[in-house]
Amino acid sequence: MLLTSRRYSVADPVEAIELCFEKGWTDGLPVVPPTEERVRAMLDAARLRPGDQVAYIAHRAVSVTAEKVAINAVMAGCRPEYMPVVAAAVEGIGEPAWSYHGPGTSTAGAAVLTVVNGPIARELDINAGDNLFGPGWRANATIGRAVRLVMRNVCGSRPGTLDRGTLGHPGKLSYVIAENEAESPWTPLHVERGFRPEQSTVTVMAAEAPHQFYNQLSNTAEGVLTTLADDMRISGNVMGQPQYMLVIAGEHMRTIAKDGWIKADIRRFVFEHTKNSHAHLRRTHRMAGPVKPGDEALMRPLVESPDDILVVAAGGRAGAFSAYIPGWGSKRSSQAVTKEVKR
Amino acid sequence: MEILDPTTEATAQSIAYAPRPASLEGKRVGLIENTKFNSDRLLAKIGDILKAEYGAAETRMWRKHNSSVPAHQEIIEELKRTSDVMVAGIGD
Repeated sequence: MLLTSRRYSVADPVEAIELCFEKGWTDGLPVVPPTEERVRAMLDAARLRPGDQVAYIAHRAVSVTAEKVAINAVMAGCRPEYMPVVAAAVEGIGEPAWSYHGPGTSTAGAAVLTVVNGPIARELDINAGDNLFGPGWRANATIGRAVRLVMRNVCGSRPGTLDRGTLGHPGKLSYVIAENEAESPWTPLHVERGFRPEQSTVTVMAAEAPHQFYNQLSNTAEGVLTTLADDMRISGNVMGQPQYMLVIAGEHMRTIAKDGWIKADIRRFVFEHTKNSHAHLRRTHRMAGPVKPGDEALMRPLVESPDDILVVAAGGRAGAFSAYIPGWGSKRSSQAVTKEVKR
Repeated sequence: MEILDPTTEATAQSIAYAPRPASLEGKRVGLIENTKFNSDRLLAKIGDILKAEYGAAETRMWRKHNSSVPAHQEIIEELKRTSDVMVAGIGD
């Protein structure tokens, strides 16, 4: 089937890379030139036709076709076998619940936090361990980059125009992890969200940067999570009640599991211990108006419900660190979405 | 060699604008606030000015579900029925 995108003739790959810069098609780093052969390999790997609609961004009236996703995936440096994951992530950010316009545009500067679950994560060597959010893995670096290039080139989310992030954060280059299902004692994220273990999925959440917390003293679940809750209580859009993701790494994972706690226990504990009094919120100018009688005892939860805390086991085996990640804005405005990777 | 354009070429769309009234005299003004802090106060103030200085007959305010989405359909339907002009604004 015909590829309908406009074509540009260039002398060689170096000139192609420079043309992509000149046209404003890159994230600031060089891209792989999107030739027809490479784009077709990408489409074939996901068994997509060029004209298939992967997502429809209602607020922008933009239809995101497989051809455009494939071109941007090539540019990002993806291998063809990553394409089904990229397509599932793009499908996810096109869901009404994710609500593209807010996280795509907002001054609060969200990135697309992407968690891959199921067999495909291991097949594609998507990092779930050491240096989780850092560089070093092609799949982690290029899948998220491809999604961001689609947002930029297809959906119009360019910094300064329709992407108005005040600060943004490095996760806007790529923000992809896998859950460490091989070593986790817990139910994987996708199974908690209604999929079978053998299905592969992508969960996308509009999110701030990861916040690392330290607890190198406790050998109990309650100890580790007390520290987490204390770090987390005032974070993100405190008044907005966004969703949160907890990324529990090796040492903490083993400590918490040793006490017999499952993910639901973590969610409940963290929900109960991250509430703020109205008095504190008013004194610190987060809630409008002066402190009123009763405000010391009146508590506001950080999230609407324990289910708004997504728990993922991932990160290196060594080191008593884990992370919490505030979602963008509020749950009312955007929610995490999980999509099956179709192959 | 040839490379392919990664952007979506804009397709022509036509948007029909409602005709603008020559004056606001006697008009019913709908105000749509986006839930952000003070957006209601800002729009109420604008509504007062439209009444005091431009002769608008009345103002009525609606609140969107949240600031990141377009006004939902019920608001738009009711606005069409009960207002002649509308003002939308944000609070930050």
